[in-house]
Amino acid sequence: MTNIKISAKGVQVYYGDNHAIKDVDVQIEDKTVTAFIGPSGCGKSTFLRCLNRMNDTIDICRVQGDIRIDNEDIYDPAVDPVQLRAKVGMVFQKPNPFPKSIYDNVAYGPKIHGLARNKADLDEIVEKSLRKAALWTEAKDRLGAPGTGLSGGQQQRLCIARAIATAPEILLMDEPCSALDPIATAQIEELIDELRQSYSVVIVTHSMQQAARVSQKTAFFHLGNLVEYGVTDKIFTNPEDPRTESYISGRIG
Amino acid sequence: MSASKHGSLLQTDPHTKKRNAAEKRFRMYGLSAIGIAMIALVILLVSIIGNGASSFRQTYLSFPVTINAAEIEAAESALLKTGAYNKIIQTSLLIYLTENDLLHGIPKTDAFAMISDEAGATFRRFILADPDAAGTTFQLNLLANGRIDGYFKGRVTAQTALLDQNVTPAQLVLADRLADQGALVKRFNWAFFTNPDASDQRPEAAGLGVAILGSLYMMAVVLCLALPIGVAASIYLEEFARKSWITDVIEVNIANLAAVPSIVYGILGLAIFINFAELNQSSPMVGGLVLTLMTLPTIIISTRASLKSIPPSIRDAALGVGASKMQSVFHHVLPLAAPGILTGTIIGLAQALGETAPLLLIGMVAFVKEYPAAWSPDAGLFGEASTALPVQVFNWTQRSDPAFVERASGAIITLLIFLLIMNALAIFLRKKFERRW
Amino acid sequence: MSEHISSAYDRDLESIQTLIVKMGGLVEHAILEAAQSLEARDIERADITRKADKVIDALEEQINEEAARVIALRAPVSKDLRALLSVLKLASSLERVGDYAKNMAKRTPILAEMAPISGADSALRRMSKEVQSMLRDALDAYVRKDVELAESVRQRDLEVDQMYNALFREFLTFMMEDPRNISACMHMHFIAKNVERMGDLVTNMAEQVIYMVSGVMPEEDRPKMGSTVTAQDI
Repeated sequence: MTNIKISAKGVQVYYGDNHAIKDVDVQIEDKTVTAFIGPSGCGKSTFLRCLNRMNDTIDICRVQGDIRIDNEDIYDPAVDPVQLRAKVGMVFQKPNPFPKSIYDNVAYGPKIHGLARNKADLDEIVEKSLRKAALWTEAKDRLGAPGTGLSGGQQQRLCIARAIATAPEILLMDEPCSALDPIATAQIEELIDELRQSYSVVIVTHSMQQAARVSQKTAFFHLGNLVEYGVTDKIFTNPEDPRTESYISGRIG
Repeated sequence: MSASKHGSLLQTDPHTKKRNAAEKRFRMYGLSAIGIAMIALVILLVSIIGNGASSFRQTYLSFPVTINAAEIEAAESALLKTGAYNKIIQTSLLIYLTENDLLHGIPKTDAFAMISDEAGATFRRFILADPDAAGTTFQLNLLANGRIDGYFKGRVTAQTALLDQNVTPAQLVLADRLADQGALVKRFNWAFFTNPDASDQRPEAAGLGVAILGSLYMMAVVLCLALPIGVAASIYLEEFARKSWITDVIEVNIANLAAVPSIVYGILGLAIFINFAELNQSSPMVGGLVLTLMTLPTIIISTRASLKSIPPSIRDAALGVGASKMQSVFHHVLPLAAPGILTGTIIGLAQALGETAPLLLIGMVAFVKEYPAAWSPDAGLFGEASTALPVQVFNWTQRSDPAFVERASGAIITLLIFLLIMNALAIFLRKKFERRW
Repeated sequence: MSEHISSAYDRDLESIQTLIVKMGGLVEHAILEAAQSLEARDIERADITRKADKVIDALEEQINEEAARVIALRAPVSKDLRALLSVLKLASSLERVGDYAKNMAKRTPILAEMAPISGADSALRRMSKEVQSMLRDALDAYVRKDVELAESVRQRDLEVDQMYNALFREFLTFMMEDPRNISACMHMHFIAKNVERMGDLVTNMAEQVIYMVSGVMPEEDRPKMGSTVTAQDI
């Protein structure tokens, strides 16, 4: 019986007057890949960003409801979002490595969170993260080269390495492959499959095939509502809600 | 195959022809506009360089001078010290001229008048710096009179000498003889950059020394104040301030401040710094403060533009890894924005360097002969009276002696060279530190 | 069911459905023709029926190709996927029904040489008619996505089985009465068995239709009387 890592109940999100997320309840399991699918503007990215409080940076955004990680309310006033984001890593749609060297990119997170006591520790963290992100063999001889000099797929793996360097427990991925070619995409998907042994992964994706390939559980969002949430196999072979059926079959209405 | 709406591609249809003609005309307009601008620029440069280039060479009289210790003592104890030294110079000159038989037919007074009045002071400085020279004969380079200098530069001729009360045709003849002898030469005028300003009677001795120093002090003040304040204000407005009507008002006001005429800042400086805060008038400190106020909007606007140009993905990436807002700004955004900020600062400084109007109002237009010290006990930091490069130009153009026209143009050339160097530095720094992301 | 955003997808699915319906029509016709030409001992008619099986086979191939193409290009899921998988199975079943009809037609000239067995021909004809009607209903259920109709087809297989069992006992009796009847009876028996098999295949089709529409394969044992007569009945 897998345990629940993230528990969301009655979550509402408003952008000014726009009610973007309407009363979402979802339980995300540990060491599992959960996919969020849905048409554009349905709120899946917005909901994802609630999980690491990235929506705090947007002035007009209001979040209500109960979101708990390991049964701790992350919107509790005592919680520092900075600390939260060390525990909940994020990878973005467009690979955005810092314009620093590969080494510095990965080392930045551990440095500012004080996770390494000395240079040797830091070197070890960097190597482990790059290995986990399947980038070590390609990068080990040019750790000083700028991160922006890598190819698109490599850059995204660098961003993944950077995210896991702070030893998070949850990885949030917002359409990580949408800017990549099919081969790089396949490599990242393979990586996600390995990562799920150590982390809980939540991935927002536009590609239903990707959600079907990569995830164990899938949540379908539509116009701010969570329409259906269940085991991926069932969602794609015999979903319960007709809206889900329409969306995955490419039907209107 | 039915005829398509477009006809053959190999034949230009009338619509395309008209459009091409219009674009060609537009290109012509552009080129002619550039042409006009270029012509204006060329005329400007030619006239300035034409007038000013000659100021970089100055006529010097070179001949052996002797002085002994007793004469030095006598001169030092005299009331008018430079006058005594002048006498010694004149004695030595007479010896030289008679030895080389150059003086025939020319009165002695004329010969003496060929030397600049500044010579005595120059000689005195030389002796005081090098007391061992007493008792020896050494070659001394002394400035020639402004009119003699003008003769070698074409301003003064035998005809004008007849009407001019400061020079006689006989002096011109002697000048030619000395030139043939090799005693009267034109040298590169380093003194132009180091000498302080000189009075109307001695245009040959006038230099930019004080003005350059004054401008340098002011630039130091502007750099030390405007850069940190401007960058900090910008960062706060751009990264930390919540969007509200207050920040909107501030933004609008800053944009407007950049358009305010500079003379208004002069009045402001007068009212606040001189009348209210009672700082010293004509000091580089006040000038620097006024110019800081003027340059702040420029720096703030260019810093904001640099900060805005950083894509939000960098900030998101930093926040995502768990950096605080402050860390993301200082570790990531600022280093990336640095080239733009630097360029904006240097351009702001270059603008401040050339400002004249506000400085006139706070009194930096005075005639200053002593080099201002950076700090003194009674005047404070940058508190001694000074003048500035553009103000010096203004000053010299007001003087009656035509030699000052040459010097004013020379000062303009110097100013332009400084501005060129600063802009080149800005471009170089930008290229060196620009990073791609 | 609303339309796909891609209208070409809808057109592809429709064209495949049309092919199935066409193939089904041909098979229905083949069943009836085979039965009637057997009863009438009409060798020429039987021959036409036999040759017509080629068209049915060609249609099955065409349906297979079309379905594979749509699966490759559209990556269908859920209902669409079930529809396409079902179409493959339906075509395969139809092709085998067609083969049984062809078999019936093939035996007609042979039986024409022999004396008719009274009652058997008409019984066979009735059985064939029943199977043909089941097939028509199954195809209707497919087109109309009618689960109830498909379910009723499943139930009617019981009758076909019963009719087969009755025929089987009759043939046994005939063969025991007069050994000269054995040859004819054996042939007739094979034909009867084939018709019973046709009924089973049509029932498979009906079950496939239920799966396609509801997503659940009907689990309960369908009514069968397949295990036929034991030694005691003799």
